[in-house]
Amino acid sequence: MNLIDPLKLAVQSLFANKLRSILTTTGVIIGVAAVITLVSMGEGAKSYVLNQVRGWGVGANSLTIHPGEIDLGQGIPELTLKPGDITALRDRVKNLEYLVPENIGRGKIKYGRKEYTPSFAMGISADYPLAFKQRPVDGRFFTRAEEQGRKRVAVIGKTAARNLFGEFSPVGEKIKINGVGLEILGVLEEKGSMLTYDMDDIVVFPSTISKAVIGTDQIWEVFLTVKNESQVKDAIDDVTRTLTGRHKKKDFHLHTQQGMIDIINNILNALTAVVSAIAAISLLVGGIGIMNIMLVSVTERTREIGIRKAIGAKNNDIFLQFVAESILITMSGAAIGVVIGTASAWLIMTLLKLDAVIAYGAAALACFVAFLVGTFFGVYPAMRAARLDPVEALRFEA
Amino acid sequence: MNQPVVVRAEKVKKLYRMGTVEVLALAGVDLTISRGEFVSIMGPSGCGKSTLMHILGCLDRPSEGKVLLDEVNIGGLDDNRLAAIRNRKVGFVFQTFNLLPKLNAIENVELPLIYAGTNFEARRKKAAELLEMVGLKERMFHKPSELSGGQSQRVAIARALANDPSIILADEPTGNLDSKSGEEIIYLFNELNQAGATLIIVTHDQEIASRSRRIVRLKDGLVVADEVIRP
Repeated sequence: MNLIDPLKLAVQSLFANKLRSILTTTGVIIGVAAVITLVSMGEGAKSYVLNQVRGWGVGANSLTIHPGEIDLGQGIPELTLKPGDITALRDRVKNLEYLVPENIGRGKIKYGRKEYTPSFAMGISADYPLAFKQRPVDGRFFTRAEEQGRKRVAVIGKTAARNLFGEFSPVGEKIKINGVGLEILGVLEEKGSMLTYDMDDIVVFPSTISKAVIGTDQIWEVFLTVKNESQVKDAIDDVTRTLTGRHKKKDFHLHTQQGMIDIINNILNALTAVVSAIAAISLLVGGIGIMNIMLVSVTERTREIGIRKAIGAKNNDIFLQFVAESILITMSGAAIGVVIGTASAWLIMTLLKLDAVIAYGAAALACFVAFLVGTFFGVYPAMRAARLDPVEALRFEA
Repeated sequence: MNQPVVVRAEKVKKLYRMGTVEVLALAGVDLTISRGEFVSIMGPSGCGKSTLMHILGCLDRPSEGKVLLDEVNIGGLDDNRLAAIRNRKVGFVFQTFNLLPKLNAIENVELPLIYAGTNFEARRKKAAELLEMVGLKERMFHKPSELSGGQSQRVAIARALANDPSIILADEPTGNLDSKSGEEIIYLFNELNQAGATLIIVTHDQEIASRSRRIVRLKDGLVVADEVIRP
């Protein structure tokens, strides 16, 4: 007996009990569909977040320096980075392209009688527009000379500009931030929002005047780039050596874009894995349902098994027939699950306006697991069927 | 009439254990059946005739004694070898026909050929020939539920003949049939026997038995009479 005949037999008997077959395989349908939907959503979320990260304009040739020995995640570390560190880094990091320290604070802007407090008031360096690829669209950015000369100048983001000046160009206007008079040189091009923050609700000025404007020159973060990606490793060494030398201890930590992407990927992968594992439990439960029905089916068909044995079916033929049935019913469920899962993943992501990333790998894996489940849970009932004594099986009255 | 022996039972005993009670269904049966015979096995219910048939048909093994089918001792064979012998050398006909209800007539007849590994074309051809021979050419693609009892039994006989077996064993083959259909089945058996088939039927119906050529009577698990009624 070849392998086609048990399959044919299995198809026949599944079609003979259509409703039961469909109900039996519901667990597998739901399991496979859930795994595909959830993994696809995880992939969609990942690609969304990664696009956001890339959208910050920071490239693979960049790294950031943060105060504190390790990343606290939450809370504010002791701000250990000082303006003198920036000067030292500018001298000692080889292949340095851009270097932007960030002093972050709050600043109440006054223009005539109007007052407005943007989300961010930041002291930065003249490298900012090139480093973050955000050029002024109106007027100009401040120069290195103006930065070093501690000129009282500022550049304003679109949202802040609109709130203070409406549709008029603010270039050349005099404002006061926390009482300090500054001249607006330009308006930054629109950046949009990131993780719900409006990145255009901002005012920036040379970090050399931060102390006067926002009352602090302590540095929250230093952004720096080197000329190309391959130099990031050396830059990390240079930064570490320079700052450790100056502070006599390592009281800062570094992030690279790749490091950030890795962390985000890890978190999202872990989430996806956990959620999919929960969905996969449904596959297991589905398998138990299949075993249950297969056992019922073996009992119901005792007489059929007896007849088949009387006319020459070997134990193995009976075993194969029932395992094939179990696998077939599971795989039919898996196929339906793939269709439903793909459709629902597509639908959900279209509704959420995310890229519809269909997790074909997860679909294949879910089908493979379903195959294993069908085989595993089919083996015991099939063994029971194969071991039936032909004389007793023939006597069986359904 | 000096035909070779098809099946020989020597001091066959069969002991069933039902809980703590032991039942001796066969108490030492000696029986030799040669090619071309048409034998009826008779006896009151519980005399062991079904047990004997199961053992002669390799569905069951004797507890003691020897059964030789085509000179092979079936006592020492494993399940797979017994299945192969049932498939090739034995054809069963049952009182309740025992056709598979979801398969049509020709598919039922093909079953033994499937388990023998015959390819599709060959087994379809053979099954069609057999159905034609038993007079069911027009009913090949009917399900058992669409066939009368007599027709169902003829399908079962065609199935029993599929692998040209050495013996055909029929257990009360007319028990579920009206007398006319029963008559047709016995007529068919006689035709088969005349064509050379070896037949053993188990029956308690004296009239059916009288249409065979030899009657073996069992009682309490022993052969109590064995007479050739027509040579």
